[in-house]
Amino acid sequence: MNFSPLFKRIFALLACVGLVSFGALRLAAADHAEPAAAAAHAAAPAHEAAHADHGDAGHDAHAAGGHAHKPAIEVTFVSQFLYSYLTAYMFCLSIVVGAMFLVILHHLFDASWSVPIRRVNEQIACLMPVMGLLCLPIIILAPQIYPWMNIDPATDHALDVKKVLFNRTSFTVLLVVIFGLWSFMALNFRRWSVAQDKDGAAKWTSKARFQAAWGIFAFAITLTLVVFLLMKSLMHQFFSTMYGVYYFAGSVWTTLATVYGIVFWLKSRELKGVIYTHTMHFIGTLFFAFTVFYAYIHFSQYFLIWNAAIPEETFWYVKREVGSWWQVGLLILFGHFFVPFLILLRIDTKLNPLVMGPMILWAWLMHYTDMTFNVMPVLYPEGLHVTLLDPICWVALSAVLALAFWKNFKSAAPFPLKDPRLKEALTHHEVPAPGAAAAHH
Amino acid sequence: MSASAKPYGILARYDTAADIFEAALKVRDAGYRKWDVYTPFPIHGMDEAMGLEKSKVGYFTFVGGFTGFTTGMTMIWYMNKFDYGLVVGGKPLFTPLFAFPVSYELTILLSAFATLGGMLLLNRLPKLYNPLFSSEIFKRASNDRFFICIEAADPKYAEARALLEASGASAIELVED
Repeated sequence: MNFSPLFKRIFALLACVGLVSFGALRLAAADHAEPAAAAAHAAAPAHEAAHADHGDAGHDAHAAGGHAHKPAIEVTFVSQFLYSYLTAYMFCLSIVVGAMFLVILHHLFDASWSVPIRRVNEQIACLMPVMGLLCLPIIILAPQIYPWMNIDPATDHALDVKKVLFNRTSFTVLLVVIFGLWSFMALNFRRWSVAQDKDGAAKWTSKARFQAAWGIFAFAITLTLVVFLLMKSLMHQFFSTMYGVYYFAGSVWTTLATVYGIVFWLKSRELKGVIYTHTMHFIGTLFFAFTVFYAYIHFSQYFLIWNAAIPEETFWYVKREVGSWWQVGLLILFGHFFVPFLILLRIDTKLNPLVMGPMILWAWLMHYTDMTFNVMPVLYPEGLHVTLLDPICWVALSAVLALAFWKNFKSAAPFPLKDPRLKEALTHHEVPAPGAAAAHH
Repeated sequence: MSASAKPYGILARYDTAADIFEAALKVRDAGYRKWDVYTPFPIHGMDEAMGLEKSKVGYFTFVGGFTGFTTGMTMIWYMNKFDYGLVVGGKPLFTPLFAFPVSYELTILLSAFATLGGMLLLNRLPKLYNPLFSSEIFKRASNDRFFICIEAADPKYAEARALLEASGASAIELVED
């Protein structure tokens, strides 16, 4: 495909606008709570009916949350496993979609500093087909995970108005199509990048940039859809247009922690000589930026819901203030934002492996806690409940992905060997320490 | 330029960014403290080549941000709860939640002010005159030449000319105060 430079510039501009509006529009949309308010009025009687139909007395629950249902999913070994699996799955998906976002970002900004780490991101993003396969148990056993799948929309107004999206066919088809699209995008990025290793032709960069330009729009819309289907629909009555960007913010945060760790590990091995201090500094800076961005987005979601005080929205947080979920919420507030914020504020800590090592482990734990906070209150409304299946699923899924990543990573050069911007990234001055100037030339 | 004038420092001109980069490393390693580099554009790695410490502007930023945040919180607490309690939308008289957006904006605003102010203060700006302005060759510092000036106030000033002469300078000039 051949496009004129003007055309490309327009696309790049559109992509940047898209990137900004990804956050801004959601925020604005969440501000306009009127449609939700209208739905709220209509929804109340239908909910009462649904309660009656299900033979759910729900007296205590009503007092606590106004909207509380009894857990529609019985706590069994199977449901426990599926919920642990879903939590671990959402955690792992974060890192894979986050890596794809970093590749898109690299091409959108025509960056040079991130060329040496791009292959790592491309290879993580190429775990997308694996994520698609790992999603199959969720798709197949969905009725045992998602309460709405067992409710007749005719008896539940909240479900009735959302049945265009929340029905078994849409759920299955959308997930299959989106994972197909994501895999297509991720594999393309890697294919072109690897092809460039041989001939160094700029056309591969142009192809990737073109895909990044339309891809950022596709990414924003599809990621929101996937998160709505897989996680938000656990409480199908909930409204939050910024839920997608909320997951996105936490995802990229976790990805940057992971990429920092991987690059730090590889910089004395496969990536020897191409990773500079400033490379680690830039990854750390992005990590810091997303610490703030996540807090900004999560606070905005909470604050808008709190301020509007519409039951269809507030119930989601009310349920997460029951029992020990309250403490989990505080842990996210302080552990996901406040502590990392203060730690990552300084340049020297962003470069200190003794600080960053524990910080990366902590980021993984915090993002996993965040996923638990989103998923588990459906199964355990009374408070946090950790079983052995949680760490088993988490470690097992992570291990599968780590092995797949390593196999991918060994299959190609560890960094883009002939990227047109590589030279720029590598000629950045590394300044000799005092006294070593004589040796420098 | 009268002979009785006190010297301000010695000025060396370089023709390329690479030349001045190498020269800066030599001046740094020779242990000079009171000297500076003047270039028409920023040169990557020059801070380290000059042996500059991490900027202290960050502390100004932090103090500014902290002040902004506490100002926002206390202002809203004072106005909405303490001085004239006002119920808005059935919400509590004070909670950090609704005070947060204002505090957050004030954090950014005062951080920015403190950063700018701190930068000016640490650079001792604005400054209307610098003895280097009297040098003819220095005028190209804003165009296409690169300069190092070692000030007479530096304890190792006596050896400065020899060092600069050996550093690949294309011209050397004494600048008077």
